[in-house]
Amino acid sequence: MARSRVSIRNQIRILRFRHGEMTQQQLADQVGVTRQTVNAIEGGKYSPSLEVAFRIAHVFGEPLEEVFQFVDAEPGRRG
Amino acid sequence: MSFEEKSVWVEFVSYFIGLGGYLIVAGRMLSNGVSALPPYVPVFAVAVVFIVAVNIVGHIVAAATSRSDEVDERDRLIGWRAESGSSWILGFGVIGAITALIFSVGSVWVAHLLLISLFVSEVTKNVLQIVYYRRGI
Repeated sequence: MARSRVSIRNQIRILRFRHGEMTQQQLADQVGVTRQTVNAIEGGKYSPSLEVAFRIAHVFGEPLEEVFQFVDAEPGRRG
Repeated sequence: MSFEEKSVWVEFVSYFIGLGGYLIVAGRMLSNGVSALPPYVPVFAVAVVFIVAVNIVGHIVAAATSRSDEVDERDRLIGWRAESGSSWILGFGVIGAITALIFSVGSVWVAHLLLISLFVSEVTKNVLQIVYYRRGI
């Protein structure tokens, strides 16, 4: 079965900027992951678990869909 | 680089040089007709001491140069995926060793078949972990 190309985009960089240029380390400390994991999530190299995604959204005080957006890269479909 | 990623590099270097070096020496001994196990034991002991020493020193350096030694969900996922992508190699080695024993192949060959499969399995695991850390998962 062919696996559709999907990706999860995020607004973490923008939200960090809006929250007083919060560093990746500060966000990582509040979420309970390493700075490298925040960097990987921000760079689209790692899709976090639902729990970590909710924690990130909670830190920014935003709903989950404002922080993460599901994008289906399959032609003819919209995510 | 996180503590976990540094730890993977330390393991990779220790296994690659320690066990890889042993297998090179053992290969030469085998080609020279050494078919009893006892002459290999001191060489293997040196390799084990080297691996342990590199791991101890490497992890001390890694801990001293890292902010935290905590493991998070990404580290665990990378570990699991690398393990599942490499453990089959050791499995094949064990099956090969059992098959060799059935056909009465010498114990020195069986032991080294197991060591080679352990070496390839561990190095593959470390390489997969490094790739996942660098390229993403």
